[in-house]
Formats: sequence, structure tokens, C-alpha cells
Amino acid sequence: MRHLHVYAVVLLVAFALVYARVVNAYWIHVAIVSMIYGILAASWALLAGYVGQFSFAHMAFASLGGYTSALLVQWYSVAVPLGMAAGLVLSALFGSLIGWVCLRMRGPYLAIFTLAFSEIVRIVLLSEHQVTSGPAGLRVAPLLQTPSRVPYYYVALGLLALCLTVMGLVVHSRWGLFFRAVREDEEAAGASGVNVVRAKILAFAVASGFAGLAGAFYAHYIGILTPELGSSDQMGLVVAMAVIGGLERLPAAVGGAIGVETLQEVLRSYGPWRFVLFGALLLLTMRFFRNGLLAPAWQRLLEARPVGSVLTSSREVRKGHRA
Amino acid sequence: MDYAIVQTLNGLGLGIILAVIAVGLTLVFSILKVVNFAHGELYMVGGYFAYYTITLLGLSPFPALVVAIAASFLLGAVLERSLLSPLYSDATERKAEYGILITFGLAVALRNLALILFGPFPLRPPSFVIGVQKWGPFTIANDRIVAGGAGIVLLAALVYFVQRTTWGQALDAVSQSRESAAIVGINPRRVYTLGFGLGAALAGGAGALIAPIFSLSPSMGILRDTQAFVIVILGGMGSVPGSIIAGILIGLAESLFTAYFPDPTRALSYSNAFSVLVLIVILILRPTGILGRRHVQME
Repeated sequence: MRHLHVYAVVLLVAFALVYARVVNAYWIHVAIVSMIYGILAASWALLAGYVGQFSFAHMAFASLGGYTSALLVQWYSVAVPLGMAAGLVLSALFGSLIGWVCLRMRGPYLAIFTLAFSEIVRIVLLSEHQVTSGPAGLRVAPLLQTPSRVPYYYVALGLLALCLTVMGLVVHSRWGLFFRAVREDEEAAGASGVNVVRAKILAFAVASGFAGLAGAFYAHYIGILTPELGSSDQMGLVVAMAVIGGLERLPAAVGGAIGVETLQEVLRSYGPWRFVLFGALLLLTMRFFRNGLLAPAWQRLLEARPVGSVLTSSREVRKGHRA
Repeated sequence: MDYAIVQTLNGLGLGIILAVIAVGLTLVFSILKVVNFAHGELYMVGGYFAYYTITLLGLSPFPALVVAIAASFLLGAVLERSLLSPLYSDATERKAEYGILITFGLAVALRNLALILFGPFPLRPPSFVIGVQKWGPFTIANDRIVAGGAGIVLLAALVYFVQRTTWGQALDAVSQSRESAAIVGINPRRVYTLGFGLGAALAGGAGALIAPIFSLSPSMGILRDTQAFVIVILGGMGSVPGSIIAGILIGLAESLFTAYFPDPTRALSYSNAFSVLVLIVILILRPTGILGRRHVQME
């Protein structure tokens, strides 16, 4: 089982490339939306699972990125990819600002602060309707001049791969260790020479930037943008996806996003009951399987490996010591 | 001038209700050391309890208020027993994190369940006392007076309970030190259930009181939740008197803000943003609030 990671990646990429050729437009749409949620869930997992910073402003950054890009394209006829890049940069900037402001706040205070921040973003977007069209929604120029969804599918796949690669590189560098050190004990991490300030701001910037990118892509794909993108229910959905997949593995969070989004489509006939189901699933996962559903399953597959995975979280390491 | 006085009185009434909600939140925080992100949803459910007690069981509004408070207490106790017990186990790591996610998930679940069970349309239970009071140029709806009065009674009852009864003292003891409380013979598990139940009862009572004034909808808790956070943090996490003072202050400030905001079409939505802005400023400048208690801290 030594090269399981490599096999899995090759298999998944092959599957993803074949997928677009065999399914109909509807399921391609589902896959695109799943991948957007995948970016959101994975970047949230970077913040929450690795650094222990529970930000509820993630969807606010997504709508910030979306509106930035959409308005730039509308006002200055900027090329859409440039607009999306601007959305990413602005969200990353705001994210690092929030990260800086939140340096003194811990756990629940940070969660309350970010919840408040996202409420303000949503209220402003709703109220300034001359600019944003308010609840009616802003019409957004499409990214690609094509009626087919297949090109969008490949763009989404590319963005997801880019996001996972960048965040994977960050997490596997020494910053990944710093992140987890900050999560376990900020003072101890600081005393051991970890630059806590930089670690937190970096994590916020990266995660929020990708949230902004996902929001911008979503806007240019769907073609209409409402402040509901930043609502508490959307945030709840992304949290559910990340938690159900597993907070401490980025690919597991993506898996959670794809799973939940697919389930949402399969169960479409049950209407709003789906959201109750996801809420309940989130509660049950938190209550009984805190490491998520996908991550531990993957871990079990890897158990055959002689050397522990690099990804092994400090929590598991500690358990190992105890045993 | 008359307008200002009426707005001040309205703000006072709203402030008392906000204080009731916030005191529930601060009670749960000081005893369980968990910030309840589903507090606003318990407030919403309390309102619906009152509505359905009146429309389905045919009770009059005042007994329905009592039923709503009792039902909210029971709901809170059940939720605490089923979801929050890992908070007391030493095997659970990073408890604050668990508390945030579990209550946030609970909020999403309750809100969507309410959307299905009660529908998205605003519902309004009958008034406690129909009509308005007129004193010269001032007009105040009776329901606002009832809500303010009942809110004061609830707050007074809670303060009496916490300060003068054995169970109240047990709550305070556990909030200061769970271990020492256990040594003197207090069962912390019961106190946790009682504390969370009381928090839910206060939220539910506030929901029932406010229902005839602002109507009920499944999403009504989101805003109140943020407002309650503002109040609790302004007053100092874990401080009951702090929450009462801050609740009334915020109620007054919002009411006057709405009245004097230059653009009336946006006044209502920005008055919500106003309290949130207050929250952000406090969190940045003085996270312990006005009357924050030292020993009540996150674990």
C-alpha cells in the first residue's frame, strides 16, 4: 500500500476526465457546483482544521470575491479572468486584515466576530441595491462564451486542483506544522519560536483568497449573484461538508463537499428536508465521529503502511504515545 | 421631541427583551463555558411554542407564555443531555471548538426544521392585551408594555433564583469551579442541564413575548443571536447585571438609531448593522466587556 496516495490521485484524475464525456449536462452542472463547494470546504478546513480558527465569514469572502469580480467586469469591462483574480486578491487582503484583527481573539470570540462581519457584508450588499441590485440579484457576465457546460467543468477542475496544490504545499511545508502547533496551544507554539502572528495571517489570507476565487467563479458560471451566497445557511452547508468529510484533511473536505452536494441533488424531491438531514448529519458527525467520515476511512486504508503518514495529526500522534 | 420620547420608550421595551435573551446566553456561557450559537433559534422556537399553544390548544396568551417557557426549558435540557455531554469528558480535546461546531450545527438544523414545520411565512399570535395606551401625545402598544413588564419579572425571578436559592448557588458554584463544586457535593451534570435549560427557557420566553409585536419567522433568530452576542460581550461574558445593563443600552441605541438615521429607507437594515458594528469595535478594543468577570474564561 506504499503508493496508495499516488494511485488514488491518478485514478481520481482519470475518473474526472472521463466523467465529463459520459454524463449529461445536468450531472456536469452538479459536478461543477460540487467542485466550487469543494474549494470552499477545503479552504475552510485549512483554517478550522489545521489552525483551529473557526471563521464564519468564509461565505462573506466568497460573496466579496464574487461581487468584486462581477462589478469590475460590469463597470470597467475588465476581462473576466482578471476580475476573478481581483476577487481573489481582494478577499485575501480582507482575509489577512480579519486575521490581523482577530489576533487577540480566541475560539468563540473569533467565531462571533466573523459571524458579525459576515452579517455586515450581507446587510450592506442587500441595502445598497443601486449598486448590487440587492435581493433581486446582480446579472453577471459569463466567464466563457459557450452554451456548453463542459468547458466550465474543466475550468472548475483546474481551479480545484490549483487550490488543493497550493494549500497542500502550504500544509506540507513547515507552515503546516506551525499551523497545527498554533491550533494545539498558542502560547506553547509562540514559546517554541513559531511566529503565531504570521501563521494566523497567512492561513486567513490563503483560505479567504480561495473563498473569493470560488465565489467569483460561481458568479461568472451561474450568471446571477445574490447576497444569499453569504448567508448563514450557506455557511452552515460548507461547515457541514468540511466536518462530514473530515476537518483535518483537505481532500477529505473536498470529498465531503462532493458527497453532500451529490446527495443534495439525489434527494431533490425531499425539498427542504435535505437541509435538516445535513444539519443532523453535521451534529451526529461532531458528536460521534469528530474526525469526519471520510478521513478515518482513508486512514484505515493507509494503516498497512509501515511508516506513519506525514499527515498524521498531532492528536493521533498523542494517542499513539499514550498507547 | 414627542417622537424621541416614544422611540425611547419603545427602545426601553425592546432593550428589556434583549436583556432577557442575553442573560440566557451569558448564563449558559458562564456555567457550561460554551457559546451557544443556537440561542437565537431557541428564541425562535419559544415563539412558535407560544403560537401553537394558543392556536392549537386554545389557551389564552398568558398561560401560553408559561407553557412556552416550560417547553423551552425541557427542549434545552434534552438538547444539553444529548449533544453537549462530550464537553464534560476529559477525553474530548479542544472543547471550545466542539462547542462552537455543535451549537452552530444545531442552529442550522433547528432553523431548517422550523422552515418545514412552521412554513416560511410570518405568523402572528394574538396580542396579550389588545389596544394601545395614550398619554397625551404618546402612543404605546399594550403588547410592548406587557413584554417589557414580563421581561422585568423574568429577569427579577432569575436574579432571585441565582442569588437566593440553593440551586442558584449551585449554578454559581459550578460556574466558578466545577471541581470544587463537586467536592462540596454538587452534581455538576445536573447543574449543567439546569443551566442550559434555564438559558433556553429565557430565550423561549423572550420569543413568546416578542411574537405579537414583530411576528414569527424561522429566520428571526439570526439577528437576535448576533444582538445577544453584542450585549453579552458589551456587558462582559458571564455577568448577569452586565447583560441587563448592556441589553437596555443596545435596545435604546438601536431604536434611536433607526429613528434618526438620515436615509429612512435603509434605516431598518442598517440599524441591524449598527449593533454588529458596536460588537466589532468592542471585540477589538475591550474583549472582556464592561463588567467582565475574570474567573469566567474559556477553557
